[in-house]
Amino acid sequence: MLMCRDLAVVASDYIDGELAGLQNLSVKMHLMMCRDCRTFIGNLRASTELMKAHSSIRPDEEFMRRIDERVAEALKARKEDSGDG
Amino acid sequence: MAAPAPLGEEALIQSMKAGDDHSYQEAVRTFTPGMLAVARFYLDHSSAEEIVQDCWVTVIDAIHKFEGRSGLKTWLHRIVANRCKNRLRSSNREVPTDFSESLEPELAGRFNAKGRWDLPPKMQFHDSADKLMENGALSDCLDKHLSALPETQRSALMLYEAHQHKSDDVCNILDVSASNLRVLLHRARQKIFLMVETFQETGEC
Ligand SMILES: [Zn+2]
Repeated sequence: MLMCRDLAVVASDYIDGELAGLQNLSVKMHLMMCRDCRTFIGNLRASTELMKAHSSIRPDEEFMRRIDERVAEALKARKEDSGDG
Repeated sequence: MAAPAPLGEEALIQSMKAGDDHSYQEAVRTFTPGMLAVARFYLDHSSAEEIVQDCWVTVIDAIHKFEGRSGLKTWLHRIVANRCKNRLRSSNREVPTDFSESLEPELAGRFNAKGRWDLPPKMQFHDSADKLMENGALSDCLDKHLSALPETQRSALMLYEAHQHKSDDVCNILDVSASNLRVLLHRARQKIFLMVETFQETGEC
């Protein structure tokens, strides 16, 4: 029988719909009977949504500006190479 | 005056091919965060930034060969990943990985010997994600915890959740198996879960 700990192991697979039929069914049955696991799955799903709403790596402006500069230089060099100027 | 509306992907590609400065600026703004996430899966912070910069310069030539089969984002992420792998190969470094255990120790310790909850989740996260993110302190806390994640977990999370790549693409870009990707995602989500739980209980990060 599926225990709470087993459910915690496959919780992300369940949320993402990656569990095979039988396993998916036993998770569903466990959830019907176990309130703690329902709360856990709900909260793990909320954590997943939170990740989607948030993007962690925000490059600093200085870094972005350096890229813009290097790209602009390279574009200019390319245009000069192509030789109509 | 309002900023001009962002170009559709096809129009963006065409004007990049034409060598238009502004379209490159737009592409840099749009795609650099994801490219950095990929690079940081493989390399330390400053090498990752260096690789991403170099990639943008190569894109100026490579874009002419881009046929649009994969979408611009996936294409750019692959370029970054390949460069990083080359760099690692030349320095003989291994990609750090930990796929051995799918439960976070802190969570695993909350079950008794029979596998039932000893310390169950105490409360339901009551707000929606958007509502939660309006809480500046929580958002800062999330930043802090994300930056403390192992690079592998963070990159998997960024590509899959934030940039919404398909599993196949993430595996391909990061060079991990499908089952290892599942472990990476699950470990990272548990950490976020534990963080929000502590925050809601104590108000502290
Ligand atoms: Zn249970």
